[in-house]
Amino acid sequence: MLYTLREAFARKVFLFFMIISGLILLTEIVIFSMVDTEKIIASLNSTGDPLMRGQIIEKIELAVYSFITSLLLLLAIFASASFVPNMLEKGTVDLFLSKPISRSQLLLGKYFGGLLVVFINISFLILGMWLLVSFKFSYWDFSFLSTILFIVFTFAVLYSLLVFFGVLTQGSTAGMMIAYFIYIILSPLLAQAYIQIDVWTENKIYIYLVKGLYYIVPKTAELLGTDAINVVTGAGIDDYQPIITSFLFLILMLGFSIVLFRKKDF
Amino acid sequence: MNAIEIIGLTKIYFSSGGRKKVEALKDVSFEVATGSIFGLLGPNGAGKTTLIKIILGITHPTTGTAMLLNTSIDNYFIRRKIGYLPENHKYPTYLTGVEVLKYFGQLAGAEPTSLKKKTDELLELVKLSNWKKNKIKTYSKGMMQRLGLAQALINDPEIIFLDEPTDGVDPIGRKEIRDILADLKAQGKTIFLNSHLLSEVELVTDRIAILNKGVLLKIGSVTELTEKKEEYKISVDAENLIEEIASSGRSFHLKPQKINGGYSINVSGDEELNLFIDFLRSKNYLIKEIVPLKSSLEDLFINIVNESEKGMK
Repeated sequence: MLYTLREAFARKVFLFFMIISGLILLTEIVIFSMVDTEKIIASLNSTGDPLMRGQIIEKIELAVYSFITSLLLLLAIFASASFVPNMLEKGTVDLFLSKPISRSQLLLGKYFGGLLVVFINISFLILGMWLLVSFKFSYWDFSFLSTILFIVFTFAVLYSLLVFFGVLTQGSTAGMMIAYFIYIILSPLLAQAYIQIDVWTENKIYIYLVKGLYYIVPKTAELLGTDAINVVTGAGIDDYQPIITSFLFLILMLGFSIVLFRKKDF
Repeated sequence: MNAIEIIGLTKIYFSSGGRKKVEALKDVSFEVATGSIFGLLGPNGAGKTTLIKIILGITHPTTGTAMLLNTSIDNYFIRRKIGYLPENHKYPTYLTGVEVLKYFGQLAGAEPTSLKKKTDELLELVKLSNWKKNKIKTYSKGMMQRLGLAQALINDPEIIFLDEPTDGVDPIGRKEIRDILADLKAQGKTIFLNSHLLSEVELVTDRIAILNKGVLLKIGSVTELTEKKEEYKISVDAENLIEEIASSGRSFHLKPQKINGGYSINVSGDEELNLFIDFLRSKNYLIKEIVPLKSSLEDLFINIVNESEKGMK
């Protein structure tokens, strides 16, 4: 696991993330130094209710969060997609498999190593953002930090898919394409379709198909959207289904990956 | 006691459609004695690397199995006692020489307390001490091979598998590797060697096996396999041997060759050898040497492989 961290350092994944994070934080600093934050809060708080101040700051935090989450996840997928295929390269995989370690341990080591890399990088940016907003508005809302867990969990689910396709194809392209497709198109589309399908069609087959697909595909849209926002705003998670089904997807993908890896000849 | 036992290993590679593609190994069985150097020979595509990969759990057999130190290869813990230098090995290029040994030493289950000492010792042994803190992307092919050998020895293994260990190594480096192998043998280690370089195999191995198209063709000691049955070379100190043979009236089928004031004669068959010795003694010639004739390992290898190719056609 720690050598995956080392690999990330060597492949300049950390440097890459730090530069991007640094630029985002710098932009935030510049914006905050240019605008009068109290005026913004006042303009958004038409009633002048002092209790509303916290909610408005939370909304500002979430606006920034929404902006960077997509970017962060796209970068995380891109940066980690090659961890497993690199291990499976001809000449390298022989060295690993000839050691007294089970194939499951090897694969899980790579999985958790990749997760650790992304966790560190995401924590750095979210923590930096949170510190800036908190200092600027003198408002310390620790619940915002829970977004780290939502982003890392969402990444963990997509990363399990990358691991599976990494083992299957011994390359990173297929996994990346599918992960991006789920994250950018399929999950938001299915989240919407799940609610609307009964209105859109009366055909039972389509309805079962869409709803079935909805439960199978990881729910990145809900995880990073409503669930994360509800936790930050203190509303709490009202529906654990997206978390549970996405977690099951993760377990299933890792399970398939391990079975495939154990059976595969190199 | 046998360090390695290979029991009816067969490996068939199937195409994605499930149709039979290649039979890489066909019911291969043999043993390797503990403390010996064993050489596996064969042309490209013979199944040598597949065999090693199956033994080490990198590839799964279709049927058959193998035992390492009386333990099934399915038990991956046995690999704590195994060292392996793969052909075309590829280490993470961002690591230094010392980090490669540390990393793979940890993976191989080497004792953490002795790992640093062992790392230094092995880098010294393979003459890479001065380069140990350099990133391995700066290493030459020969240096990578020597580092690979050190990596294969990092966990103080009882059996060492070396796939083309002298590939890319210069003649001096090869000699050094041969010395290392001899030293390891003296320590009681078992060495399983895959190599194309027949002359080198001949120099270091106790036993060899020849594999072609997945079939085990021959197995035995180098001496046994290369010895020409009942063929001898006799060196005689004589001046007019050819004339003497001609005038003796005996029907020897010999072609003496004049060498350094004497003769060298190849004799086939024990009977003819004895008759010829009797003849030489009767003439009071000085017999300087009688040596059983051997073919080179290369000749043997080529003959066996060619014969098997003909048999397969």
